Amino acid sequence: MQRFEFIGRFARNRGALIGAVLILVVALMALLAPLFFPVDPLRIVGQPELWPGEDADFPLGTDSLGRDMLSMIVHGARATLLIGLFASAVATVIGVGVGATAGYFGGWIDEIAMRAAELFQTIPNLIFVLTIVVILGSTLTNIVIAIGIVSWTPIARMTRAEFLSLRDREFVQACRAMGMGDLKIIVAEILPNALPPVIVLSSLVVAGAILFESAVSFLGLGDPNVASWGRLVGDGRQLIRSSWYICAIPGVAIMITVLCLNLIGDGLNDALNPKLRDR
Amino acid sequence: MGNDSNRVTRRVFGAGVVATSLAGVAPSFAQGTPKRGGTLVATWGGGEPQACYVPAGGGSSPTFSSSKLFERLGSRTMEGKFQGELAESWKPAADFKSYTLKIRKGVKFHDGKDMTVDDVVYSVSEIWKKYAAASALTDFAGITAPDVDTVVMTFNTPIPEFFFSSLLCGNVNYIVPKHVYAGSDPVTNPANNAPIGTGPWKFKEWVRGSHFEYVKNDAYWRKDLPYMDRLIIRYVRDPAGRAAAMEAGDIHIGVFNPVAPPDIKRLTGTGKFVATPKGYEESVWSTTLECNMRNPVFAKREVRQAMFHAIDRNFLAKTIYYGYARPGTSPIYSPNKEFYTTDTFSTAFDPKKSAALLDAAGYPKKADGKRFAVNLLAAGWFTENGKIGAYVKQALEDVGVAVNLSVPDRPTSIKRIYTDYDFDMAISNQANPSEPVPSTTQYFTTDGIKKGVPFRNASGYSNPEVDALVEKIKVETDPAKRKALVFQFEKIITIEAPLLPMLELESITVASTKVQNHSNDPNYLAATWYDIWLAS
Repeated sequence: MQRFEFIGRFARNRGALIGAVLILVVALMALLAPLFFPVDPLRIVGQPELWPGEDADFPLGTDSLGRDMLSMIVHGARATLLIGLFASAVATVIGVGVGATAGYFGGWIDEIAMRAAELFQTIPNLIFVLTIVVILGSTLTNIVIAIGIVSWTPIARMTRAEFLSLRDREFVQACRAMGMGDLKIIVAEILPNALPPVIVLSSLVVAGAILFESAVSFLGLGDPNVASWGRLVGDGRQLIRSSWYICAIPGVAIMITVLCLNLIGDGLNDALNPKLRDR
Repeated sequence: MGNDSNRVTRRVFGAGVVATSLAGVAPSFAQGTPKRGGTLVATWGGGEPQACYVPAGGGSSPTFSSSKLFERLGSRTMEGKFQGELAESWKPAADFKSYTLKIRKGVKFHDGKDMTVDDVVYSVSEIWKKYAAASALTDFAGITAPDVDTVVMTFNTPIPEFFFSSLLCGNVNYIVPKHVYAGSDPVTNPANNAPIGTGPWKFKEWVRGSHFEYVKNDAYWRKDLPYMDRLIIRYVRDPAGRAAAMEAGDIHIGVFNPVAPPDIKRLTGTGKFVATPKGYEESVWSTTLECNMRNPVFAKREVRQAMFHAIDRNFLAKTIYYGYARPGTSPIYSPNKEFYTTDTFSTAFDPKKSAALLDAAGYPKKADGKRFAVNLLAAGWFTENGKIGAYVKQALEDVGVAVNLSVPDRPTSIKRIYTDYDFDMAISNQANPSEPVPSTTQYFTTDGIKKGVPFRNASGYSNPEVDALVEKIKVETDPAKRKALVFQFEKIITIEAPLLPMLELESITVASTKVQNHSNDPNYLAATWYDIWLAS
């Protein structure tokens, strides 16, 4: 029953519904990519710089090397979504961990954790990501870790704020009175109540992570063994005056995906925020 | 030679570009008298230098900026003849162990002091020997000035005349003012950022992040030259930005690939610009592929040959360089009139042969279809290298070699290739003059293995036969015999294949049709540009 209510509230936000449907399509595309395009998407298969529609074999044309744009877009959805999800997961785990500890225990632990978070916040994010990728090397895992490392601070602050307001509530005090351990209180009692706004934020981090990965790849620091959308935009940059579709197609794909993720974030906010329930 | 037919088409293509460019220039030549005055704005296909002048060279960028202010003892004409600049003439002794040079009189430095033989002696013994030409002057014994206009350079071994003449034209083998540099550390001398030379242009200002401003040297020894009042060297980070600046008329000439290949056609198509591959004959760039001999997989030369057989160089030239490249066939490049030969071992595209060679060498395909795995590093300083990496990965995987590609940025690439030797195969670039010693040979000789020194022998290839041959080339003073020895060197290297040029690159100068007297030196980026002028 409750679940249907949730979906209903989510779907009441039309934008979020459209976003969710489109993301589902992108996710399906990512899942089924190897079925439709069994060949490595980075293989050179045709003439270079064929415009979309010029050759029926390549509906979206080919890039500067003669690789199939459609295949790269479809396979790119995989890389791009995976990077987004995993980076968001990394950021959420770090953020919730730090935020929960800081908020629950307070005192000097809180001081240290929040000063650390501020330190991270003062470093320009993109520069920080680039630095980490350059030092660790341009592999998919390192890019995910780098994006996670720069994206955890808002989640940590949000989690801390929730914990601060929840830690002295009656139900928590009741748990304490019963002799429940700190870890159990944090994980089983406070966290579920603190989670809704964090989930909204995490969904936005996915979108942010996709943009970070695109920027990293655009600057030529992406993993060259993986077809991602950002990399495609970067490759096409040189040809923007003559074959602009090489930049435009993946650019539109990135834009739509990020927009949809933001819409979903809004929808989740509506669905999870009790204050908006009767709007 | 599988590549011969293609070579012809590339050449013809190049000739076509030259022809159109000359057609564009011709009417202005007909106008005759050069116009005096005005400001010329130039750029190049790279970034701002670390200093205006770097005594050890420091790459193309400081060479470009300093070569307008300093001069060399000699230069080479487009026809390949050596001619005097600050030296009027030079000739070897009978045993070729010493050379006597006549130094030009009446040349003044920009600060008004006379250029004398003392400056020449100082430059050669303190700057060339220690920095600018250290690897070429290994057998240098000394230099003396017996006369006010004569210097004598002596060597421990016989020195071929072509080698010596090339030395006088070397990129940064300048004559610098002794009174500015003596007693200081030349590398950190503040004058490096406001050089005082003898060249046609005088340093005025360096606005960091933007441009150099040079003004006409009124006391230049070539009477009534240069024609123009000011020369600005502007730096624009992005090729697309350079193309836009040229179209807007803000930049008149760009050397060394200022704009992306697709933009070259667009710009020349307007009729307001010419593009020419001339002016790079003494600085031919190539894209090389090398195998790290420290990996036992590459111990057999057949395996190394197989790597090259797997790669379609014509495809790379056509697709990635838009035809502004041609397959490399020898460690000496085809524009080299003295030493290039087609009598080399061909590793042309032949995947079947590649597979057969790998089978025979003891690397058959395993159950997963792979023979062995390599780490391929494509040096990220040129965007094209990354694209070539993507193709080479595919080509090698087609013959059953698993490839993990990485495309690190410039500092990381230099460190991984030339210091850490952290690669199995590497895609890099080199630029060489006609004289093969030492710039070409040091990629293959044992004494070229210098950990931490970029653009040397990084493959770790060491062969006593090659070492002995290069020693002979160094001291052979008979031009015909020397040529035969270099041909032999080319043959051995192409058979051994530790490092080979996949492609010879055609560097392009793009200039407004108003710019006259350009691309008239075989190393135009490093020429003094004393005779350039701008038609109205």
